[in-house]
Amino acid sequence: MTFSERMLQIDRRIIFLVIGLCTLLPLLYPVGLPIKITSEVRAVYDHIESLPEHSVFLLSIDFDPASKPELYPQAIAILRHAFRKKLRVITITLWVSGTGMADQLVTQVAKEMEKAYGKDYAFLGWSPGGQAVIINMGQDLYSAFPSDYGGKATKDLPVLDGVRSLKDITYLVSLGAGKPGVEEWYVFGKDKYKFEMGGGCTGVMAPGLYPLLRSGQINGLIGGLRGAAEYESLIGQKGKAVAGMDAQSATHFAIIVLVLMCNAFYFSLRQQRK
Amino acid sequence: MTMPFELIVGAWVATGLTLLIFTFLYKDNPLFKLAEHLYVGVSVGYIIVKTYDTVIVHLVVKPIVENGEVALLIPVAIGMLMLTRYVPKAAWMSRYAFALIVGMGAGLAIPRTISSFILKQVEDTVRPLLSLTGPDGMRFSMDVLNPSSNLNAIIILLGVSSVLFYFFFSIEHSGLGKAVARTGIIFLMIAFGAAFGYTVMARMSLLIGRLTDLIEFSDASYGRPAIWLLILIVGALFVLARRRPDHPPDTR
Repeated sequence: MTFSERMLQIDRRIIFLVIGLCTLLPLLYPVGLPIKITSEVRAVYDHIESLPEHSVFLLSIDFDPASKPELYPQAIAILRHAFRKKLRVITITLWVSGTGMADQLVTQVAKEMEKAYGKDYAFLGWSPGGQAVIINMGQDLYSAFPSDYGGKATKDLPVLDGVRSLKDITYLVSLGAGKPGVEEWYVFGKDKYKFEMGGGCTGVMAPGLYPLLRSGQINGLIGGLRGAAEYESLIGQKGKAVAGMDAQSATHFAIIVLVLMCNAFYFSLRQQRK
Repeated sequence: MTMPFELIVGAWVATGLTLLIFTFLYKDNPLFKLAEHLYVGVSVGYIIVKTYDTVIVHLVVKPIVENGEVALLIPVAIGMLMLTRYVPKAAWMSRYAFALIVGMGAGLAIPRTISSFILKQVEDTVRPLLSLTGPDGMRFSMDVLNPSSNLNAIIILLGVSSVLFYFFFSIEHSGLGKAVARTGIIFLMIAFGAAFGYTVMARMSLLIGRLTDLIEFSDASYGRPAIWLLILIVGALFVLARRRPDHPPDTR
């Protein structure tokens, strides 16, 4: 068996080990590679930055713990930014399996930024129906969410003063890991009730959402862990996403090298057989 | 500062389940199956409890009992009709509920989807190849980074028409047709490459998330669960590998 043949039949566990080490070592010994800010992430940041104080900002946390590594850092960075800008922050989730995580996330960031529940922010929880909830919120927010996550009547929350439906929302960001998510918020929310909207998504979903961004249907897009790292850099509070970018770069480098090596061995084997 | 007990327990459980799932990278084994079944069971259990609490208790029972909103009984009755699927003789009644849901769903989704995904996207794709700049006449912008530049409009024209040609026109791909179809394939390969790149990034992000937690949970404040459980699981895998199979393979 030639060297090329042996390399092409290498035990897949060796490749897993290489990828594992390439991910683990940069996490243990970070290098701090530079992070370039892309225009689509900057657009979300700039829009929140341009909002006047007390504008109504709705964050829809449409993911569950399965997508936590990518979307949780995005949510933390956006919430920190919104609280710093003194916006009125309303949060909901369209994913029942993400309810507890969303509550923990919002509470943690609000506590860190010293914000008062009900006055500065609210978490309305989950309501059944997916896209029907969006339509319902467009007609009457209080019928979609009669009470918040803690069971308190939403009408009694000062943070919702003057907010009756989605038409009263200044800016919305949906952080989605699937359906319902960014697309549904555009189709049943923004397109119908006309408010400005940005999106955040997992890396797998990003290519599918770029057409919405290009056509101006959403004004910005935060894609995967990289997008989260860019947002963390923009707000100047580096967190888990920035810490993960060295590992991300190292793993991508390893994958590129593996692909090149595989091709080289394949062509060399084909040459030998000729 | 001492760590709260529930955080320590959570760290041990999370670390153990993560490592059990990772054992699949070595090979399929009972430890992986245990974690997999626990994951599915806990997820479904959580969703059932959450749905029951939010829907049945807070959106149905409480408004009817405490506020007397009896009109809610109508959607409840329609929902109950779906359960007649389990009674063969009464199963026909569920069709009323399904008819309502399908009809309403289609009615809501079709116009909005056509507007959002077809009309808006066609509008964005069909762009002028040259810009009119008033008295200065026509202008051609070459900025690749600007999505609305004329150069990008030409690239989109080439891409969309060649990909459509490759997929739809059932003529033999020879001569000029072959060149157009091959251009379509190149555009498709670039699109698939971009999608694959993002997919790899997403999967690696998930691995980074898990490894970050394992590093955090190797801290002494949690009792170093990552280290102890790793030793335990490697030991268990070693024992499982050495264990004789119940049914030895047929060597005849």
